[in-house]
Amino acid sequence: MTTTSMSSKASEGASNASSLADPRRASWWVLVVFLFPALAIYVGLTAYPAFRTFYDSFFTIEGLDATFVGLDNYRALMSDETFWISVRNTFIWSFIAPVLDVTTGLLLALALYAGVPFARFLRVAWFTPVLLSYVVVAILWTWIYNYDWGVVNLALRAIGLDALVTSWLGDPHFALAALIVTHAWKWAGFNMVVCLAAIHSLPSEVLEASELDNCGWGAKLRYVIVPMLRPTLLNLYILAFIGKMKIFDLVWIMTQGGPLWATETVSTYVYKRAFNWNTFDLGYPSAIASVWFVVVCAAVVILNRLLATRERLEY
Amino acid sequence: MANTLAERAPLPRFFSRGALALVLGIYTFYTLGPFLWLATMSVRTTAEISTDHYAFPKVFHWEQFRIAWVDSDFATYFWNSTIVVASAVAVVTLFGAAAAHALARYRFRGNRLVYGILFSSIIFPPQITLISLYQILVDYNLYNSLLGLTLVYVSLQLPLTVYLLEGFFARIPQDLFDAAKIDGYGDLEIFRRIVLPIGMPAIATTLILNFIQLWNEFLFAVVLITDPDKRTLPVGIRAFMGDHFQDIGMIATGVMISVIPVIIVYIFFSEKLIRGMTAGAIK
Repeated sequence: MTTTSMSSKASEGASNASSLADPRRASWWVLVVFLFPALAIYVGLTAYPAFRTFYDSFFTIEGLDATFVGLDNYRALMSDETFWISVRNTFIWSFIAPVLDVTTGLLLALALYAGVPFARFLRVAWFTPVLLSYVVVAILWTWIYNYDWGVVNLALRAIGLDALVTSWLGDPHFALAALIVTHAWKWAGFNMVVCLAAIHSLPSEVLEASELDNCGWGAKLRYVIVPMLRPTLLNLYILAFIGKMKIFDLVWIMTQGGPLWATETVSTYVYKRAFNWNTFDLGYPSAIASVWFVVVCAAVVILNRLLATRERLEY
Repeated sequence: MANTLAERAPLPRFFSRGALALVLGIYTFYTLGPFLWLATMSVRTTAEISTDHYAFPKVFHWEQFRIAWVDSDFATYFWNSTIVVASAVAVVTLFGAAAAHALARYRFRGNRLVYGILFSSIIFPPQITLISLYQILVDYNLYNSLLGLTLVYVSLQLPLTVYLLEGFFARIPQDLFDAAKIDGYGDLEIFRRIVLPIGMPAIATTLILNFIQLWNEFLFAVVLITDPDKRTLPVGIRAFMGDHFQDIGMIATGVMISVIPVIIVYIFFSEKLIRGMTAGAIK
């Protein structure tokens, strides 16, 4: 909209001051000065490494020796059972956990919006886990799940449910669920803050109108608040989804992908193959990383299309 | 803004106040409990913890912090983290602000393309760069060096920094720049004397956000740093836990040392921090 006013201004002033012709134009060296550092960092430490990982995936790389193997790594990947288990686990996590995160976040936000006492304190308290590093969260929850003295098992014993006492991180049936709960514990506060901001920015006329119509809370939630929050909730779902496709730290510290690959994610598997197992080959993990890169990008595009938020995907 | 409405809004009818208070109380305990438990353990000795994991400390063993700091090398990890994070945050803010300014202010061919390129890497899974960064840092003798890790951290936070600052800088009125030009300011002066001061609130937000995220970063640090003297706090804590997993008291103290700076930042800058973290998600 400013374009037209600016160009007319530019044509008026063109005769007397050519340097002011278009204030939004910059000489190329100004652009270079401002953009070069960021672009250099991007090219050197993001674009080039990403390209190189892709390129490496066609080689077997042991130390300084690189042997071209064509598509062998990709072929091996297709029949690598551990890889498929890790894909399955990551997808389970990516599709289920965001529902948990976003729902909890929305409920907490609604509680704050409804005007519970001590709202300020509660908002701060509920957000705190977001700030803790995965290392801290992982260590804390490893203790919480401890078989002998972890609070989960202590509580179960206290209420007489000794039969349910189990080694949460050591049992292949429960380990992934245990990690998902921990992850939700960390992220619920984030979703709460976003939902709260979104609720507060809803047009107040609509909410007031629904109150005048004697609309109960249940109905108001179902017919007014949730539909109007739809874009925000979908955005949060996509954000959480992307986050889970990358999950590494928590898994690595709590279970290292075990027991029996029950919590193996693609990230931990890449890490294991590249740096942890003494296979001394960087080509194969590069192939996994390349495949996963394509999967994540495709998932983001597809989700954006499917959910048709018509909004820019952000952060 | 909508606070008056929020205060008037009645509580849900399907919840009695008592039940609601109970649920919220339990949830609050669920979020804060583990953290408070950690705090009590950090001032108890491992022997005390083994007898009762959930007792309130009878004697506050503050010397646990001295032992962690001096004998268990947490001081080394703490300073390594401080150096790496402080330099990375300073550099990424400067580079990011410069790029964001150019993208927000100037019209040139490929503006949106450059923006898109810088921004798109935000969705990259870290593995796509991790393995090669390891090779590249080895090639340039930057593996196991704090300088190498700092550079990687700059690249990790660059997309978010550019994204947040570009959005803010674009809202600075063009009139200010026109006036400055008429007053004879050059492009660099405009950046230094107008954009940076006016953009301070947004810059402060990115500073705090980048600090927290890098202070907590684990994956790249664990791959790019193996030398015990160069470990950052998350890697150091993890390594300590691997070697002394029975020494719960000392692990708790070490974890507490890593959490304290984050809590201090949160106490003073909670609004800015939350705004930065959620900036992308709020529409």
